[in-house]
Amino acid sequence: MIADRTAATTLLASVASFSYHGDPGPALRGVEVAASPGTLTAVVGGSGSGKSTLGRILGAWLLGGRDGTLAGSLQLEVAGHPEGSSPLRFAGAPDDPRIDPGAWARHVGYVPQDAASMLSAVRGTVEEELAFSLENRGVLRADMMLTVADIARRTGLDGLLRRDPATLSGGELRRLAVGCAVVDGPGVLILDEPLESLDQAGIRTVVELVHAELARGTAIVVLSQHADALTRAAERWLVLKDGQETAAGQPVRILEGGALAESGVVITSPEQHPDPTPAPPPVLTLPVAGAAVGATAARTQAALELSGVAFGFGGRTRNAPTDESLLLEDVDLQVMPGEIVAITGPNGAGKSTLLRLLNGLHRPLRGDVRVADESIAGVPTGQVARRLGLLFQHPHDQLFERTVLREVLFGLDRIFGTAAPERAKAALAAVGLGDSGNAHPHELPASGQRLLALATVLTREPSVLALDEPTVALDARGLERLTAAVSAAAGRGAAVVMVTHDLRFATTHAHRLLRLEGGRLRRL
Amino acid sequence: MAARLNPLTSLTAAAAVLVITTAASSWAVSLTVAVGAVLLSAAAGIVRRVVLAAAAVVVPFWLSLLVIHGLFFPEGRTVLTSWGPARVTAEGLTYALEMGLRTAAFVLVLMVFSFSVRIPELVAALAARRVPPQVGYVLASTLLLAPLVAARLEKVRQAQESRGLVVGRGIGSRVAAIRLQMVPLVLGLVHDAGIRAQSLDARGFRSTGPRTSYTEVRDSAGQAAFRVFAILLAVAAVVWRIAESLPAGSLSAFPQFVGGA
Repeated sequence: MIADRTAATTLLASVASFSYHGDPGPALRGVEVAASPGTLTAVVGGSGSGKSTLGRILGAWLLGGRDGTLAGSLQLEVAGHPEGSSPLRFAGAPDDPRIDPGAWARHVGYVPQDAASMLSAVRGTVEEELAFSLENRGVLRADMMLTVADIARRTGLDGLLRRDPATLSGGELRRLAVGCAVVDGPGVLILDEPLESLDQAGIRTVVELVHAELARGTAIVVLSQHADALTRAAERWLVLKDGQETAAGQPVRILEGGALAESGVVITSPEQHPDPTPAPPPVLTLPVAGAAVGATAARTQAALELSGVAFGFGGRTRNAPTDESLLLEDVDLQVMPGEIVAITGPNGAGKSTLLRLLNGLHRPLRGDVRVADESIAGVPTGQVARRLGLLFQHPHDQLFERTVLREVLFGLDRIFGTAAPERAKAALAAVGLGDSGNAHPHELPASGQRLLALATVLTREPSVLALDEPTVALDARGLERLTAAVSAAAGRGAAVVMVTHDLRFATTHAHRLLRLEGGRLRRL
Repeated sequence: MAARLNPLTSLTAAAAVLVITTAASSWAVSLTVAVGAVLLSAAAGIVRRVVLAAAAVVVPFWLSLLVIHGLFFPEGRTVLTSWGPARVTAEGLTYALEMGLRTAAFVLVLMVFSFSVRIPELVAALAARRVPPQVGYVLASTLLLAPLVAARLEKVRQAQESRGLVVGRGIGSRVAAIRLQMVPLVLGLVHDAGIRAQSLDARGFRSTGPRTSYTEVRDSAGQAAFRVFAILLAVAAVVWRIAESLPAGSLSAFPQFVGGA
């Protein structure tokens, strides 16, 4: 059983074209991938380049016929199973071969960009979720226990086995999703943006996991819009743009050439764990913001002020909250108009919770939150929203309308009256979504969804911007737009608080960098 | 307490109590069952959730019972008061009370069951009884649907409030808010379900071979015996009820019929 777990497997894919049903043009054209045992292949490209589509075809989450029209071939060569190695050829015809996704997943594990969509949603604990596909395959309980324990150790989930998956933080959830994919012992592993929204410890466990899997002979394909430590370790890169291959070969060669400049790939330092202390000088200077902080700080009222804020889930039961049950113990924060503050900290430290306290989605157990010099205690969130715009951690939680334009227009007429449609169009144009007004928000690539969520916040012109992981899922062009939007907001005097794991972005663009740990904020 | 019970035991017990309550058709039995369910939930520490959820179902139902049977009960003879076509009769009120109590007992028992059972264990117990896993999944996702819908609705509400929606305390404001939330809620759930289906496929959920269960479900000879006993008791109650309803007509007519032949 265990010995069979990583049979040397090679995946050869040749996608002549793939078009989603109802789309005018193909999402992918002429893309070839070869994943051999023990090698790391990185498919890099900007947002909307077709990476996720390619990953989902490789993992049989997208099937020719059911989800779109596929022309090309897929071939799996599993050591010891020569009979199954002939290529499956697809012509987009009704008599094309049909893949059983369950059987395919035993050889090719796929971890989607949105880790939560990996979960079955009917299992109450992390260990039950890990065991789900083993149960479906009829693995004996004793073997399941061993495998689950082994996977938990490899993915750093040891301490979380009894937790409800719904309560995991973003990074913990990603580790669980990777665990769910490797629990079947596939010989090929497809990881879509595996390091997104992870803290340093989370990045370390996932990178270690990738290298451990490579050492076991697993063929790994990483889909990413980052030229970071993980993708730089790949033997081979495939650069995608607009669904087509623009370059392929060794990362070093491609980094030297000019193919990446156009692709939208975010190029970060080759350091695996960048040390935040030797911060690069701010690339972006903010004259207005700088003036506000420096010259008039003494006279200007803080745009946002937290004093002695404490918060905990379930802390309001029977007795007064005990300090052990508190997620935030004693948080003080002052942000001046025009100032940009970045907050980092480990996954699960309460960063997102802190931002939700700012507009009253959560209410502090102790202490006070003041927005524009007024306490928000007892003020409904809808009213606080006039002054404070919150970008949620997951765009999926923020977007609820039928079209992109309606999304930005929601509630806008109450602020701008008849000027609302113009404002909405301008906000969409500012984030590069001017042509997508009629699209459904879910149809946008992950980067587009985040930019749309950002547009819904920016268009209201709040005096405080609270951004939860704004850089996640953004490619180089998206980052430029985010940077421009944040500096424009700070320039007109808005205070910006952002929570991020992206230390490079934080040190480059924020005036102050704070760390939330152990329920308190401290200066870095 | 409930955690140590096999979920099938609590399911059987709940079903048997419901059958017996229906068969008994007496307000005293219904009241006893309702009070028993509340006490049980108090012992399990879930009384607040159970009573709130049950009230949400039962109170509107009670009101409609009062209007329909309290005011318009054609068989009613003892008229207490009347306004035009509406007559409040003692029989109508008694009927409304009986129906109301029986419904309350039903809902309370079901709530105690669904709030105390661990759904993965129930699915595992059913799978061990060779119930197709798809049935188990549908059952589990139905029982989990309420929290799922509530969570999604909460997210939509938070997203809308964060963009300036103020939900006031008035009925009009709440109805307007519900109208704004329904389309996003349904679209969001449908979208989630589509993605979930791909993930379930990839995780072998459609496989037709034998399955196993990671969750170990406790069971004992005593619990198995209790389940048989509960089922027999429920069957006996139904038989008794049928026999009880017959004598007025058929059983008294039976000897004459035999004698006549």
